[in-house]
Parts: sequence; structure tokens; C-alpha cells
Amino acid sequence: MQRRYWLLGGSALLFLAIQFVPNELPPVVMNNPDDLIQSGIVREEISSLLKVSCYNCHSNETEYPWYSYVAPSSWLVAKDVREAREELNFSNWQTYDMMEKLEKLDDISIEVDAEKMPLGIYTLIHTWAKLDETQRQLIVDWAEETMDVVVEEGEEDVGENE
Amino acid sequence: MKKLSLLPVAAIVGLLFFQGTTKPEVENYPIHPVAGPDMPADVKAIVEQKCYGCHNAESKNDKGKEKLDWDAFEASKKSKQMATKGKISEVLAEGEMPPEKFLAQKPEGKLTEAELATLVEWSAGKKKGEN
Repeated sequence: MQRRYWLLGGSALLFLAIQFVPNELPPVVMNNPDDLIQSGIVREEISSLLKVSCYNCHSNETEYPWYSYVAPSSWLVAKDVREAREELNFSNWQTYDMMEKLEKLDDISIEVDAEKMPLGIYTLIHTWAKLDETQRQLIVDWAEETMDVVVEEGEEDVGENE
Repeated sequence: MKKLSLLPVAAIVGLLFFQGTTKPEVENYPIHPVAGPDMPADVKAIVEQKCYGCHNAESKNDKGKEKLDWDAFEASKKSKQMATKGKISEVLAEGEMPPEKFLAQKPEGKLTEAELATLVEWSAGKKKGEN
């Protein structure tokens, strides 16, 4: 019995101690002039899907839940959001060059189609972010169409510069 | 009972390590013709010899197939091919392919400098807006 209390007390102490480990959540910025949706090039049907299922990690508009302020879950949230934004940040969309846009759209199409995104660990809690078959197809088709648009625009730019 | 109280802690710690990792599989190269109108013969030869073994539609290496499938590449549209080439170019620049784990078992699979240069030139080609 004695040992059980020690264990419980120890765990509680450890839990308190890890709260003091420095952990920085990526900053939230709501006004992003280079944002994909804010620049108005995505139709409503798609932008609402992206907002609900992608934007929490893949944009500067993250809404942090309470457990993102409590270690150790805060570490996971910080890591995931940081890596997600590095990989693809819709808030910086217009700063990407043609090839970056193409590669990111291709990744979106592949990852969403293979149900790799949104991450399972994310939709486990954020159940409303889960995409059904129709929604997945909408995003995949949008990404594929947009790839063609990006190439067309890229070629126009090359033509203009010559 | 003691162990039971540790369970939630273990679960949380376990959660932190949750990461989808798959082990690359080494398999023998099946030699298949990679057909394609816009692929130069020298590029095609290297791809067939050094990439196609894992990166094909029938590949048992799921990760390799998922990342790049040469059979699908040939059939895919222009923008898709451009995106794929951009990614190939990056992976080659980082020296990530063929993977080290694969080379440990198949050292002869390594790209020679000349081969690497050929692939880099080809994959980066469209970045300059060439056709």
C-alpha cells in the first residue's frame, strides 16, 4: 500500500515538474495577406473543407485546445503544428513559387486520397475534421485541377518575361 | 493495482512516440521497360536500372510505390509530372535516394556521379520553365 502512494505521488510530482519544461507553441496570426483562402482563389465549397480539416495545423490560424497548454500533450501539439506549417502553410500560399505550389498540391492530392491526412491521431479528438469519401474526393479533385491552373499561370509568367 | 495506476502515464508517453514508420523492404529488381515519350534514353536507362525496382506499380515496397510509381508517372498529366520531377530533384539533391538502408544490402544500387548528374539535370529541367 505504501509503495502505491509513493508511485502516485511520484507521478504527480513528475507531471508538475514537466510543466516547467519550456515549450513554445507556434504563434497564431489571423491576418495573412498571402493566405490561400483570404486571397479568394478557392471556391466556398473547398475553402470550408480546408478550414475545418486542414487549417488548424497547416495555417497560422491555429485554435489551440486547452491540452496544448499542458505537458506532455503540449509538446506533441507544438511539434505537429510546427512540422505541419513547415511542410505546408496555407497562410503563406502566395509566397510559394510555381514548383512549390505544384509539389504541395500533388502532396495534398496523394495524402488526402490515401487517407493519410488529416492525421488519425488528430481526427481521433477533432472528430469533426474527419473527411468522408465525398469530401476527400472534392479536395483531391480541387488539388488536381489547381495544379493545371498553376502550370498555366506559370507558363504565362514565363511568356511575359521574355 | 500499482501497475494499473501507471497505465495512463505510459499511454501518454507512448502517444508521444506515435509515429507512422514503415521499414523499407529490399527486393530484387524486376527489369521492366519504362516507356515514355518525353524521357531521354539515358534517363530512362538509369531509372530502369536504379529506381524502377522499388518504384513501380507492382512493387512490394509500399512506401516506395506510394512515393513514386514510374508506371503511373508515364501516364500522368503534365502538371503531375512536373510536380513529381520537382520532388525527385529535391530528394536527389538531399542524397536521400536510393535509401541508405537499401544500399547497405545492395551497394551496387548506388547512383554513380554521372548517373546522379543526369537525373538531376533532367528532373530540375522544368524548373527553369523549359519544356
